[in-house]
Amino acid sequence: MAPSPKNSAPSVATFADHEVITPPNKLRKALAPATDPKDDPLARAEAALAQLSSEFTGWMHAECERLEAARQQMKRIGFTEQTYGELFRACHDIKGEAVTFGFPSVSGAAESLWRLLEHTPDMTRIPQALIDQHVDAVRAIVRENARPDIAGVAETLTRRLREVTDEFLRLENRDRPDYLESIFAPPLSPSGA
Amino acid sequence: MVRINFNRLRFLVIDDNAHMRRILRTLLHGFGTREVYEAEDGAAGLEAFTHYMPDIVLTDWVMPIFDGLELAQMIRQPGANSNPYVPIIMLSGHSEKKRVVSARDAGITEFLAKPISAKALYERVLNVVANPRPFIKTKTYFGPDRRRNVNPNYVGPERRKGGKTDVIRQQPLLDKVVS
Repeated sequence: MAPSPKNSAPSVATFADHEVITPPNKLRKALAPATDPKDDPLARAEAALAQLSSEFTGWMHAECERLEAARQQMKRIGFTEQTYGELFRACHDIKGEAVTFGFPSVSGAAESLWRLLEHTPDMTRIPQALIDQHVDAVRAIVRENARPDIAGVAETLTRRLREVTDEFLRLENRDRPDYLESIFAPPLSPSGA
Repeated sequence: MVRINFNRLRFLVIDDNAHMRRILRTLLHGFGTREVYEAEDGAAGLEAFTHYMPDIVLTDWVMPIFDGLELAQMIRQPGANSNPYVPIIMLSGHSEKKRVVSARDAGITEFLAKPISAKALYERVLNVVANPRPFIKTKTYFGPDRRRNVNPNYVGPERRKGGKTDVIRQQPLLDKVVS
């Protein structure tokens, strides 16, 4: 049955400098009492994800190839909006997917590259060597992911990349101390895990 | 106890990464959702939003053409589309304060930091369904009420003028369904 007009309009309370608008909750339709104790949507979703996980290694290798292709394009053409965007999105995606795909050790190196690209005000000043070191580290960590000591190796690599990157970012952002403070502040939101 | 009937919800997933879209689709189907629409960039996402009228939008932040933040701002434009109140859950690998605040100020309803887990996604969806927040409209903002809690120790300025400066509390739907 269609809602009557008076139920579909939001209620509005008006104040001196703002309004509080309460729209009708159309999603209420999706709430229901739990009657079947065996119904476990969370378990179903986790099982489905576990089944999909057999593809994750191939996906991570594909992401690494994408990162490498972006690096090569940048070397050929130089820093443009397009080459920058490709490299940025490639390392951003690896950072976001690393843990889910079973490659937690690589997220630090990917994040360090992302920080370098995100927080350097003039992208043409980023040394190619620093980009190469990051990309090579990401590929090496992914390649060697099965090693029992990979976490320690990756941590050492990432720490060094981060030190060099932080030093570079401090230098490049020395004229904007507020921005510097914000990029070195601790993260706010907890992880989704 | 209460549950979500995911088969009564229509989702729109906007992410330029095909792998991430597949993961989200897998999780949502696992929850029981039947309608999951996808878009691979902000522009296609806006078109899909207008066409499919989803109940909930899941969007990545970093995307080509225009990003998740710009998409949220466009959806939240009062009068620009049929449902500026749609819950928008932003997925992002970045949790720096500056970014979270930017997302909040763009009108995002919930923020979900990667790595994504079934549990965290489920909880965000449950929150937007069972605990909807009212919307606030000012000269510079239109979106979900950015105040979740009352802080009795807050001593700073009160930026909202004209009374009723408390958090607007609504009875969560979980309580209404159980009672």
